[in-house]
Amino acid sequence: MSKEHKHSVKITQLVEEQLGRDIDSELISDLAIHMEECPECKIYVDSVKQTIKLYRVTKEEQSIPDDVSNRLFKVLNLNKYK
Amino acid sequence: MVEKRTEKQLVTDAKGGDQSAFAGLVRIHSPRIYNLALRIMQNQEDAEDVLQETFITMINKIGTFSGKASLYTWLYRIASNIAYGKFREKKRIDPNMSLDESLVKPLKGHELHDWPDYLEEKLDDEAFRDCLMRALDELSEIYRSVFILRDLENMSIKDTADILDISEANVKVRLMRARLFLRDQLLNHFKCVSRPS
Repeated sequence: MSKEHKHSVKITQLVEEQLGRDIDSELISDLAIHMEECPECKIYVDSVKQTIKLYRVTKEEQSIPDDVSNRLFKVLNLNKYK
Repeated sequence: MVEKRTEKQLVTDAKGGDQSAFAGLVRIHSPRIYNLALRIMQNQEDAEDVLQETFITMINKIGTFSGKASLYTWLYRIASNIAYGKFREKKRIDPNMSLDESLVKPLKGHELHDWPDYLEEKLDDEAFRDCLMRALDELSEIYRSVFILRDLENMSIKDTADILDISEANVKVRLMRARLFLRDQLLNHFKCVSRPS
């Protein structure tokens, strides 16, 4: 957020709370109203949301390789229950 | 092996010393723990160590599991603590590092940039995915850990704070800095991928 943005501190906090889904409805409403009037904040929110979305989309769950799984059960002495 | 018992029953049986119940819990939770360890440690050998130590701890400490949080959350805390302990050793990060944010090296990332609208189209592009991972690698551990737990693993602010043994306010501050850093790093990295024609 640029230094010229007069609302940067307050709005940054609101945005982070909103992105973190830890915000009450009144604050969400305040933020939505502000963003309608402030393209700078809208770009800010959208860009951070997109960043998170890109990482979530690319987060791949790998299955455990068989040899890793075998060693795990062996270390735990649980081989016969595998 | 198909497990017919519920997780709650498996925990009860495991507390009673039932080895097959431990095996059932390992089967249920080891994939996600392994993936978490891989994301933190960034190599398979260390991730395997974290995986093994996590479940050794589970077996040894199952009696202390109160059931207030889910077993999954409990295991995540164990795995995260082990992983970040190892990470600190490797990176020689002082484990007693102050959590005072004023002592943390500031991250850049408070400038406003337009966000290219074509980036999602690049998700299948290997070079683009490399860009994403490089940006995450460049994020220092104290910020990366919060981003991974909160934004990638969907842990709550409270659980993230508990796992990392920092305050909830600290989680929010670090999360904000991590997101801004990644956003700006990505924008820089995007220069290495061409705009689709």
